[in-house]
Amino acid sequence: MTISFNKDRMRKARSIRLAAILVLAAFTVGALLGPLLAPYSYDHQFRDAPSASPGRRFLLGTDEIGRDRFSRLLYATRISIVLAPAAAVISVALALLLAPLAAGFGPRRRFARPAMSVFTTICLALPWIFLFIILRAELPLNTGPVVSILATFGLMGIAGWAWPARIFSASIDRIESSGWMLHARAAGIPPRRIARVYAWPHLRAVAIAQFRILVPAYILAEATLGLLGLGVPEPLPSWGNLLSELRHPDLIRHNPWVLTPLVLLVIVMICLEILQTENAPAKEEQ
Amino acid sequence: MTADGSSWLSGRKSGISARLVHGFLSLIVAVVLGGFIASALVRYSPGFDVDENSWNPALSEHTREALHARREYENRLPLFYVRYLGKALHGDFGESDSFHVPVADLLRASAAVTLRLMVAGVAGGLLLGGCLAWLAVWPRRASLEIASASLSGLLLALPPAVLALFFFLSNAPVEIAVILAILPRVFGTMRALWSDLYGSGALLAARARGMSASTLAWRYVLLPAAPQLIALIGVTLVMAFGVLIPIEAICGVPGIGELTWRAASSRDLPLLCGLALIITLVVAFVASIGEFVGADNSPEIV
Repeated sequence: MTISFNKDRMRKARSIRLAAILVLAAFTVGALLGPLLAPYSYDHQFRDAPSASPGRRFLLGTDEIGRDRFSRLLYATRISIVLAPAAAVISVALALLLAPLAAGFGPRRRFARPAMSVFTTICLALPWIFLFIILRAELPLNTGPVVSILATFGLMGIAGWAWPARIFSASIDRIESSGWMLHARAAGIPPRRIARVYAWPHLRAVAIAQFRILVPAYILAEATLGLLGLGVPEPLPSWGNLLSELRHPDLIRHNPWVLTPLVLLVIVMICLEILQTENAPAKEEQ
Repeated sequence: MTADGSSWLSGRKSGISARLVHGFLSLIVAVVLGGFIASALVRYSPGFDVDENSWNPALSEHTREALHARREYENRLPLFYVRYLGKALHGDFGESDSFHVPVADLLRASAAVTLRLMVAGVAGGLLLGGCLAWLAVWPRRASLEIASASLSGLLLALPPAVLALFFFLSNAPVEIAVILAILPRVFGTMRALWSDLYGSGALLAARARGMSASTLAWRYVLLPAAPQLIALIGVTLVMAFGVLIPIEAICGVPGIGELTWRAASSRDLPLLCGLALIITLVVAFVASIGEFVGADNSPEIV
């Protein structure tokens, strides 16, 4: 009875996971094809139709300077969906590079370990919002859209290395003190082979779990930065700067379609959460 | 036996004191370096050298020269920082460039607001998150489990700043937004903790003996989970502070987050130095307490 109940549960979980993957795949395809599907350019201003209501010409209406909301939403989805994983890759790669130092590998082990511990504490404690304010001030007004979004997401990726590095160094510690590592050393297997064949598969599982945790975190971070005006700079759209329209309650009452970016964000976040929770074994590895 | 026991105890004590000393030294280094890095970020940000008072016709030549001299002094960052630290040790954090009041007064006023929000957010978040996690574990009903996980998932999917904006615009207390932002972030950990403890053999045996639910919860769940919960409080406090910075900035709540935002926008070096020192101290201190308490207790949960 218990076995059939568990099987039923697992089947349900698998179908939910499949649904989440399909939704995310649809979003990704839609995002990548965004420029082809968008009826107008993201920065084209229809001066004759500012703050237009949704209709046949503008599916979601226009913003206060006459830009088509639907086109901007398609471009914004592409930016948020493609670049958040890219930032997560940067963070995980940096953390994987620096974690062996934090775990105390290397020639100056006694010194490197506490130094890295302090450095990660600083990185976790500093309010990184300074960095984004400074970045916005550094970028010249005529900076191209590609450079500005790469700078924003690149900085996000660099700033977020500390937490995964802590997780990786804890994993390395566990691997180092494990019985099989002792056996492998005693058997005279060269350290490089131990690292490549035995340790890396363990770390890879943790890295994938960290990547899955960081992607939604960066999507949320971009949304928050966008609301503060520190995310992807105008006129380029992102979910974050589209959400900044929510600061005007009258606008929400007049045109509830301004909530569409929030709805898309929530759907994507829920799908990512489902994939995270369904990946329990890899998460437990932390 | 006694000798073995006492040597084990003294070894453990010396281990704890070594960890305490190590933690304290790390804290000091983190605060000093953190403050310096934050100051360097501000000092080398564009526009820092520009002082709008240089063009203020209402100021006398003497005042402008004094302001210019002060700016030059601040430009030599290492010197400025060492002197600043020396004064900060005596409680003097200098005077804010943009507010023209002592930094210590500004920090005191805004810290009270942020602390109130943090305490409310962490207490409410942990309480509600704990209750929701309990609903997902104890009654063993699939409907309750799904409902609690869905609610937590939905709250986790909403950016805290958007949540706060909705509460702020509808004139509801921002504290509720902070609680709702913290709740899903502790739900997963608390569910795993309750699940481990409620599945333990000791609890099942006590339950079979007919012990009441409240006694079971107190004796077999809350008491054994106390060290992990303390560690979780530490982590949650740090998390709450991260959540509060954008919330305060967006909703105009006069706390540390809003002060940081305004100080960074106006490149107010003395204020930012003070803020960086205090923030790094608080965050590193709380995090190290959490680590210290949690280190000996079920690290897989922490």
